[in-house]
Amino acid sequence: MKKHILSIDDEADIRELLQEVLTMKGYRVSTAADPGQAKKIIKEDPPQLIIMDFQIEEGDGFVLIEEIKRLGPDIPVLLLTGAVFDRAVVRDTIEKKVTSYLDKTASLSMIVSEVERLLGDAPTSSERL
Amino acid sequence: MKETIEKRVVGLFLLMLVILAYVAWSSLHNIKENIKSNAWVNHTHAVIIHAGDILSYLHAGDAALRTFLITGDDRDRQGYRVAYSTMVENWTEAEALTRQSEEEKALHERFLDLSLLISNRMEIAGTMARGRAQGGLDFVRQQFNSHPDVESISKIERAVANIEKTENGLLKERDEQQHLQAQATKTTVYTGLGVNFVLLALVVWLMRDDLIARRKAAQALEEANAMLEAKVQERTAELLKSNQSLKQENLERRWSYQALDHQLRYNQLIINSIAELVFVISRALNISRVNPAVVHATNWEPQELISQSIERVLQFPPDPVGGASQNPLTAAMREGRQLLDRPANLLARSGRIIPVYYTLIPLHDQDKIVGGVVTVRMQLSAQQQRQS
Repeated sequence: MKKHILSIDDEADIRELLQEVLTMKGYRVSTAADPGQAKKIIKEDPPQLIIMDFQIEEGDGFVLIEEIKRLGPDIPVLLLTGAVFDRAVVRDTIEKKVTSYLDKTASLSMIVSEVERLLGDAPTSSERL
Repeated sequence: MKETIEKRVVGLFLLMLVILAYVAWSSLHNIKENIKSNAWVNHTHAVIIHAGDILSYLHAGDAALRTFLITGDDRDRQGYRVAYSTMVENWTEAEALTRQSEEEKALHERFLDLSLLISNRMEIAGTMARGRAQGGLDFVRQQFNSHPDVESISKIERAVANIEKTENGLLKERDEQQHLQAQATKTTVYTGLGVNFVLLALVVWLMRDDLIARRKAAQALEEANAMLEAKVQERTAELLKSNQSLKQENLERRWSYQALDHQLRYNQLIINSIAELVFVISRALNISRVNPAVVHATNWEPQELISQSIERVLQFPPDPVGGASQNPLTAAMREGRQLLDRPANLLARSGRIIPVYYTLIPLHDQDKIVGGVVTVRMQLSAQQQRQS
């Protein structure tokens, strides 16, 4: 059965791109543009991973992270944003709130690798060879 | 190869056909010869029978004649007359049977010789019969004693026996010929059939060889097809992989563009949201970017300011230490120094002069100064200061 990923972002292009690339990799991807949609999906069809941005329609990313933790405490969250620039800030604050953090300028392959790592699908060293 | 085998098979079948035709012709020919021989045998038997009958009727006629000679009764004349007459008929038929054939010419001569003996015999018989009727038994006895050929019957018997012997010899000869002919026919048929069986076996062998070759060719074709199929699959997989890679690259490019666009818009939003006037300048102090606060405060449109010197909108007071007014930004940019809250005048598009404080932050990219940011805030009047 395909693993389920929820992508939360206010930008449709970003959502579509992520959905396309992760579907190609064999995942089932749902998308949400606002916290309401996101919470509904988490309740009805709990994902194995959430990829989200801070900037979302009709809501605040930090608040949504707290709500996600309440709804699905075991669901890993990958924060994918271009809103925070200071690495020290990321290390000291944001990474404590989420499972993983990636800047939006990171390449897609890096994002996919991180998703695979978080879902336990990362190829082993022998598979890479 | 295929054509050669087909030609060979057709050739062998033609040869078989020729052999069968020869066997059939030979058999028919022999049957005809056999029929002819049978006719000849029948004819010969007829001749032998007639020859035998000549002798039989001669004996019967002689016996009847002797009866008449003894009795002298006219009623006994009929017996020898009929017998002699039948004997002559048989001779005539035998003579006629042997007259046509070249092969029986000698035999025909013997029949002619036999006719002389028979004529003599019949003449003697006539003389005896006439003498008996006229002179009685004495005359008959006298004739028997005086006539030297009165017992010529033994000559006739020998002649007939010779004829029969000759005919039987011919029959035997013909029988041997027929036997040889039958043997030859049998040999021809068996040999033809045998050769045909051998040829048929050769055809079967050739066809089996051809079938094996065809099977091998089909197998080779199948293997070639499988190899081609494998190559096609391999190439398809490569193309699929290449396509996947291209798709991935395309996605990556789109993602980079989206991420950069997002970042740029985000940065733009931050700059645009600053209430102070922001001028981004080059190292040569030319304006490269302004925020909406600049447009709002001066009424200058961005396109009227971009690429112009900052001195077009910002006037610096004369240097209190030395003489003429000098742009302090030039030295600060060269040295990479910050200038904080310095007084200056902002020139609006309408010509109005607004007293302001400015701050210069040079932009360092690693070791180089690539430009600077000048932020400008209004100088508050005493009343404004009190209100704030």
